[in-house]
Amino acid sequence: MNNNKPGRTRRPVALYSALMALFSLMLALPMAPQAWAGGSEPAAKVVNPGTELWREVRQREAPRAGVTQVAGMDSGVLINIRGEQWRQFRMEQLIPAAGVLIGGVLGLIVFFHLLKRGVRLEHGRSGNYLLRFKEIDRILHWYVATVFIFLALTGLILLTGRVVLIPVFGHEVFSVIASASKEGHNLFGPLFLLGVIGLLIRFVSKNFPGKGDLGWLLTAGGFLGGKHPSAGFFNAGEKIWFWLVIFIGLTISATGLILEFPFFGQDRPMMELSLVLHGVGAVLLVAGLFGHIYVGTAGMEASLESMTSGYVDVNWARQHHDQWAEVCEAEGAVIAGEDLAKKQRLRGTKNRVPDRPVAEEGR
Amino acid sequence: MITAFIEGPLWYFALVVFLIGVAWRLFAIARIGSKPDLSVPRRSAAVSGFMTSLRRFLPRREMGSRIRLHVLAGYMFHLGLFALLLFAAPHVLFLQEHLLGFGWTPMPYWAFIVTSQIAFAGLLLLWLHRVLNPVTRLISDADDHVAAVLTFVVMLTGCLALMEAFTGLRVLHRFTVELLMIYFPFSRLMHAFTFIPSRAYTGALFGRRGVDA
Repeated sequence: MNNNKPGRTRRPVALYSALMALFSLMLALPMAPQAWAGGSEPAAKVVNPGTELWREVRQREAPRAGVTQVAGMDSGVLINIRGEQWRQFRMEQLIPAAGVLIGGVLGLIVFFHLLKRGVRLEHGRSGNYLLRFKEIDRILHWYVATVFIFLALTGLILLTGRVVLIPVFGHEVFSVIASASKEGHNLFGPLFLLGVIGLLIRFVSKNFPGKGDLGWLLTAGGFLGGKHPSAGFFNAGEKIWFWLVIFIGLTISATGLILEFPFFGQDRPMMELSLVLHGVGAVLLVAGLFGHIYVGTAGMEASLESMTSGYVDVNWARQHHDQWAEVCEAEGAVIAGEDLAKKQRLRGTKNRVPDRPVAEEGR
Repeated sequence: MITAFIEGPLWYFALVVFLIGVAWRLFAIARIGSKPDLSVPRRSAAVSGFMTSLRRFLPRREMGSRIRLHVLAGYMFHLGLFALLLFAAPHVLFLQEHLLGFGWTPMPYWAFIVTSQIAFAGLLLLWLHRVLNPVTRLISDADDHVAAVLTFVVMLTGCLALMEAFTGLRVLHRFTVELLMIYFPFSRLMHAFTFIPSRAYTGALFGRRGVDA
């Protein structure tokens, strides 16, 4: 049908094309100065003012506060580029480094245990005992240990959960676990601070550098040289662990409080720094904890007793803390095993209440 | 389905076991009665019982510093738990909607957090004292440890569900509470109901004979 009247169709098309060309020319006119200035530059380089605005918002060097009626720290900042920097640091550096550190420490422990099978009592048990830790010290130790292990578990879930748990449990289950971990972590955090302060008060006097510490360090606690170095109540390794717990513990507690209560004027850089210090410090402490647990259990025979009953075998004390053992023996603080058993019912007694009073049993 | 079971049949079962169990235990204790005392009373048994009930809130002076931590941790845990049970906002709402029909002013969020921390620290210290002190270790049995762990788990699941953003966490807390309610009448947790009558009975018995108990 169209082929019968070609002139009628062609005329409107030509008119439409002319109008479109005119309209394009109008749109292009404002860009003409830039096009002429750029010589042969293509028109695509022409900058959209909106693009410039968002580039300014997002890619500036430092946060620039805008004007807003919303009250609060950094509420005038639309997009903070450092959030992305933190995310990259967390995903690409902190989490892999944490994995390497914790995994490395565990590997070292396994290697050392396979190599040495732990440190045994050279002269066996003497059957006599020395009081090493009072009840209050042991309660404090296990209080801090319990709280820290809970914080470490919940903290590692929050730190590495996206990488480790989401592939296993999926997003929905992980969101529940993460929410619970966050609440638990925030709740128990201040309890850890109290424990660290308690440790500082109870043990600081025994953890200053003293005689034999340098020798202990130079021989790596007897690992190099074969002979067990001399030590006082605490050896140099224990002292280093103590100060690490105190300094890192106080640091992660302080940074944790900064993060948990963000309404005391702390700005974003301080929050970001707190987050980095909190994460790095916690990972260091977790790695150290594995070593501490190993040395206190399978790594050193009869060590755990000092933190359960409070008493240690005299031969253990002579082997690992000879200076302290010498002082205790000179003071007559050695308790015979039988006396200790009677005193604490540590051995030979079932852990139950007698059915009848002792006086009645003889009738 | 699990949620419906925990919030439905299991809740009513736990409630019935708890109420009937506690009532049965109290009735059984009351039914034992006491032997008639024909001696001339030296003091009023009622006054002595009342005074002993109050006096036992403070440790005896002779015990001094030996039980300072025990007493402190005991108050931290028990007062904390009492406050959480009756004044935590979700609990007040639950009691109002499901049991009592009326409510009261709950504690603010910050007070809930601080109270929880005090209660957790107290419970942890008490349990550590139980297992590390040779005397308390000797007189403790499985019931004590189960009760302590169950109470800890109930408190913990409650705090983990604090955001109230996930049904699963709330249901988990509800489930542990129901386990505790079922276990309660058969355990030493009954001391929550018997500690005052026990003190009063001892105080009255000895007070009548002229002895401060």
